Amino acid sequence: MKALKLKREDLYTYLESLKSYGELWGPVPKGDKYVYARLTNVRDVALEALRTIIPPKKFFVPPRFNMFRYFDDHYEEAFDDVKRRVLFGLHPCDIHGILILDELFLERFPDPYYKRRREATALLGLSCVPDDKCMARSTNTHAVEGGFDLAFNELGDNYLVWVGSSLGDDLVRLNIDLFSEEIEPSDLKTYLAWRRKRDSRYKLTFDLTGMPDIMELSWDAPLWQELAEKCLACGSCSMVCPTCNCFNVRDLSDLTLSSGVRQRHWDSCMNKEYALVAGGHNFREARAERLKLWYTHKLKAFITEYGKPSCVGCGRCIDTCPVDINVAEVIRGLTGQKVTL
Amino acid sequence: MVKKPKVGFYSFSGCEGDLLTIIHCEDELLDIFGAVDVRSFRMASSERHDDESLDVAFVEGSITTKQQSEKIKKIRERSSVIVAIGSCACYGGPQSARLGYDDWEERFKKVYAGARLTIVKPQESQPLDEYIKVDYYIPGCPMDKHQFFYALTRLAKGMPVELSRFPVCAECKWNENECLLLKGQLCLGPVTAGGCNSRCPNYGLPCIGCWGPTDEANVASEINLLKERNFREQEIVNKLRLFGGSSMVKRFGELLGIKKTSHASSVKTISRSGKKPAASKSSTTGNK
Repeated sequence: MKALKLKREDLYTYLESLKSYGELWGPVPKGDKYVYARLTNVRDVALEALRTIIPPKKFFVPPRFNMFRYFDDHYEEAFDDVKRRVLFGLHPCDIHGILILDELFLERFPDPYYKRRREATALLGLSCVPDDKCMARSTNTHAVEGGFDLAFNELGDNYLVWVGSSLGDDLVRLNIDLFSEEIEPSDLKTYLAWRRKRDSRYKLTFDLTGMPDIMELSWDAPLWQELAEKCLACGSCSMVCPTCNCFNVRDLSDLTLSSGVRQRHWDSCMNKEYALVAGGHNFREARAERLKLWYTHKLKAFITEYGKPSCVGCGRCIDTCPVDINVAEVIRGLTGQKVTL
Repeated sequence: MVKKPKVGFYSFSGCEGDLLTIIHCEDELLDIFGAVDVRSFRMASSERHDDESLDVAFVEGSITTKQQSEKIKKIRERSSVIVAIGSCACYGGPQSARLGYDDWEERFKKVYAGARLTIVKPQESQPLDEYIKVDYYIPGCPMDKHQFFYALTRLAKGMPVELSRFPVCAECKWNENECLLLKGQLCLGPVTAGGCNSRCPNYGLPCIGCWGPTDEANVASEINLLKERNFREQEIVNKLRLFGGSSMVKRFGELLGIKKTSHASSVKTISRSGKKPAASKSSTTGNK
């Protein structure tokens, strides 16, 4: 991987040049939180932003979108909202989240709606220092070694810019004069010192070794019922999780009754009717069963299938759940530690 | 060409905001009238056919008089499908906020004193399903026009209507709003039926529950959460009851300290004798 240096003060100039590739998006403040928004003014970007309310999955699987428009005798694909975009400011955990979605939506059964949006998007990472809700070190998603087009890492008065793809290389060439190839031995020292600083800041650390076995042994644990009594079943955890990707499909007819749209929208296994089947049987009628499924998927089934948890440690469930049910509390509960909720 | 379904729109006690929602669909109005054969819609046309059988009747408003309770039964008899539109028809509306407290006569006297009402016989405000079988519910104050379009087109094609069962929180996340509950506001989003596109939180206002509770509403946990955030129990109960009407009484009556009442005891016409019914204040919660 090629490494380059960009002066901190040149970042905005470079961001401006990225606009010639496509729409530039990055984190901006919304109240006390952050959201990914289009950066018409590059100086609006919130470089300090840690986590956005919903993860960047919204770019590839929007909360709701029209798949196609249908008529009496034919249908037309609806890709009008697919724009060429540059996402700047993606933290390692969110890039890992996207890589997990890639495995699900691009590998065995490629999803054309995801693929089209994903291919139109350049991923530009940005290093970060964790807060007390980050647990990416435990999920081994606190750093990225690939999957991005460019990655900007703190390096004193500079950014150390990793070029991760040929598209990344093209993006550098949009304003190549800003970049330097001269990396000094002292830069490596600065970089390593910064990495040590980052790694020492994780306050939430868990040993996730053998998590599938622990989940298996906890099938009948009273924890699930205890959590279910608090759970509001609002589904917010699914909406903010970078790897939750379930969706529902509905046909919305026009009032003329001869045309309409097929719409896809985010769903959640926390919804009661999620496992409702024809005939009225519900596989997971009880809230406790649904909670167990959610966490089984994150901490057991995905590990068994893909060799890593489908939790990337971003801390959004910790930040979001009004009644404090989150991956950290569930891990504590399952591993016999004190549950604080 | 399939025959257009015959449809009627009716209004009982309420602000008529649901029918107004339809009339305000100026861009779609011609298509609505094109999709179905509208036989009765007093806000749209003086031409009415109120004695024929209907395929679908959309009914808004709650039932608050003896005359209305008779009229809704007649509409039921001549309609294949009844759709309750708006929270008044679904749950009784704000006028049913004290359902189950059994103090209706007292309240009535407080407002009307000794007035003798001769035109109508008033009674406690109740949702439609207290008197008739309702096939579909489109809640909201007012309902959302897109849910109405969805129901109308599904019914026009002879298909069942399946509305969103998400709570408000889901759409609130889709719209990337800051969580108002976490900001310390009394927001009913987690227990309230969604489909409104989280309209109030989009403007920074907490959800007041005007669509009534979701199927899966964990009201007990919501109350605990709000109490932990220093809201008074009575304030929380009042908020839940403002639009919750019969759904709160039937589903969460015990939790909210509301006496569970049967149809017979809750639906009463004003008694001429003026006998004061026993007050049931002791059954309310949170008089701290």
